[in-house]
Amino acid sequence: MRNYIAAVFDDSRKAYEALHQLWDLDGGGDITVHGTGVVHRDELGLLQVDTKETHPALGTAIGVGVGALLGALAGPAGAAVGAAGGAGIGAATGGALGMVADLDRADTRQEAADETGFVLGVGQSAVIADVSEDWTTPIDICVRKLGGKVYRRPRSDIRDDAWYSPAYPYGYYLYPYEYVPPAYAF
Amino acid sequence: MAQLATASAKSGAEAKVKDAIDNMRSAAQDLHKQIIDAAAKKSGATKADIAALTEKAKSLAKSVRASIDTQQGNVAEHLNDAIKHLEATQANLSDSLKATGAGFDTSVKKVLAEARASVQRLSEAVAERRAANSAKKS
Repeated sequence: MRNYIAAVFDDSRKAYEALHQLWDLDGGGDITVHGTGVVHRDELGLLQVDTKETHPALGTAIGVGVGALLGALAGPAGAAVGAAGGAGIGAATGGALGMVADLDRADTRQEAADETGFVLGVGQSAVIADVSEDWTTPIDICVRKLGGKVYRRPRSDIRDDAWYSPAYPYGYYLYPYEYVPPAYAF
Repeated sequence: MAQLATASAKSGAEAKVKDAIDNMRSAAQDLHKQIIDAAAKKSGATKADIAALTEKAKSLAKSVRASIDTQQGNVAEHLNDAIKHLEATQANLSDSLKATGAGFDTSVKKVLAEARASVQRLSEAVAERRAANSAKKS
């Protein structure tokens, strides 16, 4: 089954350990990972996605694309915000933070909490991934061991959202391999 | 005995094909990484960088095409799509050599989108193959 997942942690280093283990599961053939990204919400509530140093136009596109995917993971209410372009988030290659996302509006957060339970809290980090998995146990166990919590939305549900556009495939904004910024390298 | 030998040869061939798709996916992942790195160069990617990336995309498309005959159904379909995206990657890389300013930004975005799409299709072929193997076992 093809799912988008968010594995949420209180510690950003644990998020990167989880990222590494997801790709290990892929290497062992237990799951297939199509793309991953790591997103943080700082103490001020600002969201940022870690990216490689790249062309500025690409950094902006990644921020908007991952923001929309975060919205979609939060459920239909979040997807609407993402599709409207309000969820553009900072693509940080060093430490710079991006825009405040409209996803943080109290009403959207409440709806997301009711619909899927996925809300990224202040100070938390999440691994966002596009995966094919025959069963959910391998990822669930790996994330639980690291003290995190997994949220899933089937790709088919996300594609059924009224706001989904095939011309804007969320997964394409995720790295199709394990990318770890130098600050988190083991 | 002959049957055993055939079965063994077949499973060996399947293993090689599986490895081939995995390897092609790894090569496409590397191509994507190298394109991002080239795009990040402050003074811009050199002609030599772009020529090397074009050659890599071309050679990968050739490898994928060569493996299609041994595949069926969705796997073959994903591989066919991957070839189209790799060819588009080559074409956009060539365009980026001639472009400047905003035109260059647009072609870099197109190159990366096509390279990303090619990895996605190869990754979907890997997933499809793994699901089929897992169904066979159970």
